[in-house]
Amino acid sequence: MESKRQRRLRLAAKWAAYSLMLLAAATLQTMPGLFTIGGAKPIFILPLCLAVALFEGEYAGALFGAVCGLLWDYTAGRTVGLLALGLLVLGFAASIIVRMFLQETPANFLLLVAGAALLLLSTDFLFFYAMRGYPNGLQRYCTVVLPTLIFTAVLSPLAFVGARAVHGRWGEN
Amino acid sequence: MKDFFSTLKFKLLAGVAVLLAGMLAWAGANGRLSNAPQELLGALLTPFQRMAAAISGGVDDVWTKYTRIDEILAENQQLQEENASLRQRMVDYDAMKAENEAFKDLAQIQEENPQYEYASGFIIGRDPLEQFGGFTIDQGTLNGVQKNDVVVSDQGYLVGIVLEAGINSSKVITILSPSLNAAGVVSRTRDNGILTGSAQYAGQGLCTFTNLSRDTQATVGDEIITTGLGGVFPADILVGTIEELVPESSGKSMVAVIQPGQDIGSLKHVFVIVNRDYGQEE
Repeated sequence: MESKRQRRLRLAAKWAAYSLMLLAAATLQTMPGLFTIGGAKPIFILPLCLAVALFEGEYAGALFGAVCGLLWDYTAGRTVGLLALGLLVLGFAASIIVRMFLQETPANFLLLVAGAALLLLSTDFLFFYAMRGYPNGLQRYCTVVLPTLIFTAVLSPLAFVGARAVHGRWGEN
Repeated sequence: MKDFFSTLKFKLLAGVAVLLAGMLAWAGANGRLSNAPQELLGALLTPFQRMAAAISGGVDDVWTKYTRIDEILAENQQLQEENASLRQRMVDYDAMKAENEAFKDLAQIQEENPQYEYASGFIIGRDPLEQFGGFTIDQGTLNGVQKNDVVVSDQGYLVGIVLEAGINSSKVITILSPSLNAAGVVSRTRDNGILTGSAQYAGQGLCTFTNLSRDTQATVGDEIITTGLGGVFPADILVGTIEELVPESSGKSMVAVIQPGQDIGSLKHVFVIVNRDYGQEE
């Protein structure tokens, strides 16, 4: 039987591990030159946010998503709260979708990340490129946005494995 | 379903969402990009980014080699002839040389522009969502960096301005961005124009010099420099050279496509001009 103190320590260790993973993901995502092909770079924060939502449930996942989004807003130079709101909603929705319709497998997770990245990157492209009237929108979408999506999805199992390890070590039995 | 929406957890989550929307509206209304909680997150992230940037040069090289594997295999065959100790000595030599060059560049820039003070900054972050070469440097308000401070390369070429200064890091918007405008002049002909980024050319690492008169005498290869008008940019900062001259879409003026003096996408180190008194009044 776990005491209250033990439980508090376990939860603190778990969220400290997730926080370190978030800092590592943000660092990898913004690391100059890392995995850059033709202007496209993989996103690491989004898969981590979804992986945590998957293992920790919709509410904890949504709140973690909001924190992930705040950090991403900062690194991407987006107005504060924009990506935070997006990841809050995506974290919540992803957890519900998996609980109701999907099994927690790396393959399903990869598809989920691809869908979420498509939604998020397309929305960002719409607001920060297409609606500003910049030229060659379709070309940019195909050469930068879609490769970014593919990179992100391909590398997303890393986040899944990491979050599963943390959840397995310090999660509820 | 009704029970689901009336739970305390859901109400708390809705409260967080409303709070975020409020922060978004506040930031939009005040022309800010970030706020205190984000700056704290950013300050926590900066040491990690600084460490990663220090090793990113090596990672970048490995990745580039991987994507050019055929060329590299042939090159590798040739390189294997060199012995290990010589290579180690070359690495040491290169590191010392790069360090020496950076100091020499700084000394030269300072000699040419003694009226400016510089902060030396390494590029520690480039986010995938950044479309026009923007980046984060490891210098912030603690180092005297402020919003709108001008950023130049090691060789003194204009790179951009500080979009937002955090405690120990700052975001830089580059001359490839259409949001950045600077008054400039063609060095040889003294034709005035506006230096700005273009979504059409940013992917190729080029920017544009607009509002040139139809009968401009400027030609390919001419240097563009800043005029200092407007008070944000100091005068006589080198920008780059004209690569192509094309008529503006309405036909009333000419647009010069500029090859910046420094490749914005591969920059690893910059200088920030931290004193704001350029001797120019708006």
